Amino acid sequence: MTILSHITRLALLLACSLMAGCMEWEYGYTEDFNFGGRGLYIVNEGNFQYGNASLSFYNPDTRKVENEVFFRANAMKLGDVAQSITIRNGIGWIVVNNSHAIFAIDIASGKEIGRITNLTSPRYIHFLSDEKAYVTQLWDNRIFIVNPRRRAITGYITCPAMTMETGSTEQMVQIGKYVYVNCWSYQNRILKIDTTTDTVVGELEVGIQPTSLKSDRNGKLWTVTDGGYENSPYGHEAPALYCIDAESFTIERTFHFQKGDAPSEVMLNGAGDTLYWINDDIWSMSVDAQHLPTRPFLRYNDTIYYGLSIDPSTGDVYVADAIDYQQQGKIYRYSAEGELLDEFYVGIIPGAFGWKE
Amino acid sequence: MLAVLLTLLPTALHAQRDWSRQGIDIDEVTVMGKRPMKEIGLQQTKLDSALLKENIALSIADVLTFNSSIFVKSYGRATLSTVAFRGTEASHTQVTWNGMRLNNPMLGMVDFSMIPSYFIDDASLLHGSSSISETGGGLGGAVKLATKATDTRGFNLQYIQGVGSFRTFDEFLRLSYGNDHWQLSTRVVYSSSPNDFRFVNREKKENIYDQDMNIVGQYYPTMRNRSGAYRDLHILQEAYYNTGRGSRLGLSAWYINSSRELPRLTVDYGEEKAFENIQREQTFRGVVSWDLLRSNWKVGARGGYTYTWSPYDYKRDVGNGHMASMIRARNRVSTIFGQMEGEYYIGKKWLFTASLSAYQHFAYNRDKNIITTAGESSIVGYDKARIELSGAVSAKWKPHERMGVALTLREDMFGRDHSPLIPALLLDGVLSKHGNITAKASISRNYRFPTLNDLYFLPGGNENLRKERGWSYDAGLEFSTGRKGLFSVSGSATWFESRIHDWIIWLPSPMGYYKPSNIELVHSYGVELKSDLQMQLSRDLHLNVSATYSWTPSIDYGRNLSEADRSYGKQLVYIPLHSAAATATLGWRKWSLLYKWCYYSERYTMTSNDIMLTGTLPQYFMNNITLEKGFSTRWAELSLKGSVNNLFDEEYLSVLSRPMPGINFEIFLGITPKWGR
Repeated sequence: MTILSHITRLALLLACSLMAGCMEWEYGYTEDFNFGGRGLYIVNEGNFQYGNASLSFYNPDTRKVENEVFFRANAMKLGDVAQSITIRNGIGWIVVNNSHAIFAIDIASGKEIGRITNLTSPRYIHFLSDEKAYVTQLWDNRIFIVNPRRRAITGYITCPAMTMETGSTEQMVQIGKYVYVNCWSYQNRILKIDTTTDTVVGELEVGIQPTSLKSDRNGKLWTVTDGGYENSPYGHEAPALYCIDAESFTIERTFHFQKGDAPSEVMLNGAGDTLYWINDDIWSMSVDAQHLPTRPFLRYNDTIYYGLSIDPSTGDVYVADAIDYQQQGKIYRYSAEGELLDEFYVGIIPGAFGWKE
Repeated sequence: MLAVLLTLLPTALHAQRDWSRQGIDIDEVTVMGKRPMKEIGLQQTKLDSALLKENIALSIADVLTFNSSIFVKSYGRATLSTVAFRGTEASHTQVTWNGMRLNNPMLGMVDFSMIPSYFIDDASLLHGSSSISETGGGLGGAVKLATKATDTRGFNLQYIQGVGSFRTFDEFLRLSYGNDHWQLSTRVVYSSSPNDFRFVNREKKENIYDQDMNIVGQYYPTMRNRSGAYRDLHILQEAYYNTGRGSRLGLSAWYINSSRELPRLTVDYGEEKAFENIQREQTFRGVVSWDLLRSNWKVGARGGYTYTWSPYDYKRDVGNGHMASMIRARNRVSTIFGQMEGEYYIGKKWLFTASLSAYQHFAYNRDKNIITTAGESSIVGYDKARIELSGAVSAKWKPHERMGVALTLREDMFGRDHSPLIPALLLDGVLSKHGNITAKASISRNYRFPTLNDLYFLPGGNENLRKERGWSYDAGLEFSTGRKGLFSVSGSATWFESRIHDWIIWLPSPMGYYKPSNIELVHSYGVELKSDLQMQLSRDLHLNVSATYSWTPSIDYGRNLSEADRSYGKQLVYIPLHSAAATATLGWRKWSLLYKWCYYSERYTMTSNDIMLTGTLPQYFMNNITLEKGFSTRWAELSLKGSVNNLFDEEYLSVLSRPMPGINFEIFLGITPKWGR
């Protein structure tokens, strides 16, 4: 064979390889995780319409983090815009907003054990029992009632004074037989739902756009509003932190922020006696306080704090930095005294946390 | 790979092929040394009508994918397709049609999938600084599209029908009439398809449950691309009048009526019939023109109007088949356009040009209906008007037959804001007549103003945005050689660089919505290679091969947001570092075989350029092939054409979570009656 023939063959081979057969897809491979003991699940929202939400798991004892746990355990994507996680009886329920789905995973292995699908735009799930849960929605004026065991939608709670277009129900807190829900997007209310009749039995107006809802050790509800935005036809006002007496369903205390502030993510420690929230800095305050603190728990450090969680056992504070929202976010772990203990990268836009006990 | 490309696929400076011709006239090289004064220093890619008229199912986005070095980002078949030059974004590409800018003033970009290639008779790409002679704001470049009068005598008709995979139907009809003074033409394109191609979804799994709802099995489903149907109607009416005494009048009016479903993401778990996601558009564009030509000067005027109404509806079934609106967005834009231009030659060495254009936009955006705290209904959106003026003067000088210099000065004014003077200096010179080796170089300043959405969209619009500003430079060499009637080879290599400050980018905000802001600096640079080979292999057999290659680092040198930020010095997302395209045409008598190939390297989806399992867009190659046979009868010219797209049935993604079709087919039958001939 002449040198020319060799060259011709080589050229043809290269030409063929340029035409096809060079795709680099890898799929179908799963990993077996075994997350023993306590740990923190971190839900990384991902970018809207990119389908790049992911799940991370952090072991606070070994300080080891595993990223993309859902993908690696199940060989499929978690979906588009993972919003929240609720852990109950060894099962993690991950609400994936723009995938219209909730995935149930075994929290020891990260493997899927079921899913509830065809939701409108789910945000949070709240369990009433093994066979009944509520799922709040965006762009829907109904709260969905689901049967987690049968993975099925079983009914709806229609919310008053809301259209599909303006529908927005968010976080849920249960005190006794009542579930309380904050209504966020272009809304200003907390709804009270009787779980025995699955109907809205009360509404309480707060400020513009309450972003989150928690209950403290005293049975009080806490919500913080973002105040809307400049030029919003719904209004723009100074945001506020509200303490609501659940029993009388009235506002007990109001703490005003500066107009233009954007507080969010009200959280409580495990004892339910200390509040935390994000407002550029990270702030903390006793649930019995009468005034907002003057100094933050953690100063703003060019970070875009997006998520917050308090270790219910140790009181360590976990803060999620979304950085520029288009790269792996970072989690900072602080002691209850504000000392930096650890930091690690997770997925894109870490926003929600779930504690595995 | 670059070496292989250049070795195997010598390619095109100017795609001068007509693959349906029975022979080719290989004599272009003899005239390449004559460089028109207007094209001094221009880095330009011309797409000839043969490329544009390859097939009625193609949009300009499809044509550019295989025939240019610019990056085409497609969200799928008959879905948003944008183009970007030299590592910039889609909004940095300015697009004109018959002299009128098409960029949507709200979004700043153009959807090239909405421009049928059969509606364009003349298209050229002006790279980098070269765009300033046409328009401002093209930090990457400009795409210049135009319709032209045909040279019809009497009545003419052409009808082509295409039938393809996924029940795709494409129809094209052209009626034309012409005499010594008038040229009239009506063109209609109608395309429709359920677009429900099958694909194996590797990003989700279907579960198999036992009766207790335990998962007993999982598999990757073979799915159809649901909610991807489209129906596009385009009508183009043209009328041209030539007085025969140097005056020309023209009218072109283009109506679009489009309804396109937005395909579901690969990770969507909603029931197929439970959701409706439709983008519609009705657009009218009209341009009237007048040109007066004399031996050494020319003046022209244009007037135009654009009206676009684009509703977007996202609905879900709330029971009993009742589809309730979740999003009901409505956008409406009206634009009045006027332009005057003049050219004046002094001898053979000087050309002076001047132009002034004005656009008056009226934009209305209704993004959401809400109920206020007072219980009244209200609208989230904006209603704004903006005038945009742009004036340019240029002097082109040819001190020697082998050398040319062009200086353009432009000034843009958007609303009350105006740019400083925008200079562009372009040079070229013939280094050697042997091989027509020509050197070109340019340097320019440029600005791009924020779009109306950048400024006013609710929520997120940022009225404090600064306009983007940048310097662009390029330099390169071209050559062309050949032997008349046997072969011609041409090629070019261009290095380019631009530094754009205050680049505008939309990012999520802590408030839960996206917001635009200026990032400090993006540095784009790279190399563009183009070449073309034409060979007459025998009396009846000819071969054309053309190819392009681009290497486009586009680096983010914005301020580090925090210590954790790993985006500094990294390639911008979705912009490929390497891209290449090639086409080869073999013609024999009335047969022709066309092979098209393109390549995009891996694209990052994270600003840190990290690769995660959930966010990877691997490199891909695309191969299409077309075979055509022409028939001539006493009463008509007929053509039969068959195309195979994605020949190797590649699984690929252009954008995350958007499925793309595998191998697919389309057959076209064309007929042109020989009336009166």
